[in-house]
Amino acid sequence: MSAMALRSLNLPGIGTKYEIETDKGDTIAVFFTKTGTIQMYTLQKDSQTPSAAVMTPVEARRLGNILTGAIIEADQESVEIAFSALADLRITIHTYFIPKSITGRTIEDLQIRAKTGATIIAVCRHDKNIINPPPTFAFETGDAALVIGESDQIKKFEREIMVE
Amino acid sequence: MEGFIIALFVCLVLALISKYLSVPAIPFYILAGIVLGQAGLGIVESDKVSTFFSDMGLLFLLFFMGLEMKLDRIIANPSKVLTGGLIGLTVDMGIGFIAAYLLGFTLMEAFVVGAAFYITSTAIVITSLIENRKLMSREAETIIWVTVFEDLVLIIILAVLSASDQNLLLFFVKVALALAFIYAISLYGKEFLISILERNDEIPILFTFAAVLTTASVAIYLEIPETLMVIALGAAFAITDPDAFEQHARPFRDVFMVMFFVFFGVTIDFVSGIDWFVVAIICTLAILSKLISGMIIGLVIHGSTLSGLEIWANMISRGEFSIALAVLYGSPIIATTIAIMVIVTSIVGAFTAKYSTWMRRGIISHSRKKALMYRPHGGK
Repeated sequence: MSAMALRSLNLPGIGTKYEIETDKGDTIAVFFTKTGTIQMYTLQKDSQTPSAAVMTPVEARRLGNILTGAIIEADQESVEIAFSALADLRITIHTYFIPKSITGRTIEDLQIRAKTGATIIAVCRHDKNIINPPPTFAFETGDAALVIGESDQIKKFEREIMVE
Repeated sequence: MEGFIIALFVCLVLALISKYLSVPAIPFYILAGIVLGQAGLGIVESDKVSTFFSDMGLLFLLFFMGLEMKLDRIIANPSKVLTGGLIGLTVDMGIGFIAAYLLGFTLMEAFVVGAAFYITSTAIVITSLIENRKLMSREAETIIWVTVFEDLVLIIILAVLSASDQNLLLFFVKVALALAFIYAISLYGKEFLISILERNDEIPILFTFAAVLTTASVAIYLEIPETLMVIALGAAFAITDPDAFEQHARPFRDVFMVMFFVFFGVTIDFVSGIDWFVVAIICTLAILSKLISGMIIGLVIHGSTLSGLEIWANMISRGEFSIALAVLYGSPIIATTIAIMVIVTSIVGAFTAKYSTWMRRGIISHSRKKALMYRPHGGK
């Protein structure tokens, strides 16, 4: 079977078009228009009229995150990046809001890396970002932590650290 | 000056209404101009200020057209651009020119009317394709390439019309030198231009404005058409960072273009012997000729009359370029004729573009019913 065909095209005045034909013969087209919106069309095999959805960039990014298969919850986001050149290495970056249970505890003390393998790469506190927090960094309620790791490590982090 | 402010305010309201109804605003701006101007209430008069703004509108419209013109892409897909484009040019320009000539315009006037009759409004077509969510249809791509071809033809038309009353050799030498100069600046000054555009202060926007105006005034000084030079400037700048230039030129274009349409309407005068019969024929033909060219394009490129119908439904609207031709080369009677043609076609075009899917579905289900009825052993 042929692999999915991805076609990209720059249309003058409109923007960029990406089109994928799936193995089952359906077609999906995405347009990044110059007006700043993103339009996604799906066309079922043997059908004439596509259906369309118009999205803002933020909505499109959300949809993209869902499609990559990353874990998504209502107010927490995650992005999964697949590096096909590195034997399909899939790295997930996930945001978590720090619960009361671990407020006041440090990264060292929670043994995050030893227990889960995931790493905290940034914490957002009162709209300020602390990049690469040291092991002595203590969490506060309301902090948003950005955790990076393989998908299994992230799941472990969620099970073992977030509910402690 | 009060008139100018009134016009501006009316346009603001009209823009809001047209956005709310999602229909093109261009016909409403022209109508507003006609109502407020000498043909209507006479509240707004064109003066030095308004003329300046209108001129700016035209310059920035053409500068934008140059920026969007990606010659490399046309060279990469010549067949796509040429097939549809040439059909449109022959059919629409042909019908427009012959009709205008037979209706009593002189050869030169018929050429201007024919050109305005031929050229579709890229602005309306592109916006309606996006707003009516038709980008995926296979006809959409064909339509876009046809409008790209039309832009190229417009440049040739502008060159022909402005060269017609000059010493040709001198004219072409001056134009060639100016083009070479503009191109050399953007090629050798590419790094410098990009560094200017990347700044976060007022420099990029000031630079864009100054570049367009300087080019236009130098062209006027050299007695070569400023319209062509501004398009060339856009096309040359497109090799640096066209998106940044578009971003900085957009506010100027958006405001000045509205003024350009309104004050075009203001200068329209119905009393100077306009023949309504001629205008009605031109408007009807303007819609019919796009049906013919659309059908041929649909059959040749997609092998389907339904595709032809879709192309027609989306390409009826004439707009900014037709008016530009009227402003630059039209007598008052031509200007009035083109104004009415733009208003009629853009309003009709807005409806056909919106309801074409519905129209298409109606035709398909109708022909299916017919097929069922004629099936010898079908039904009861």
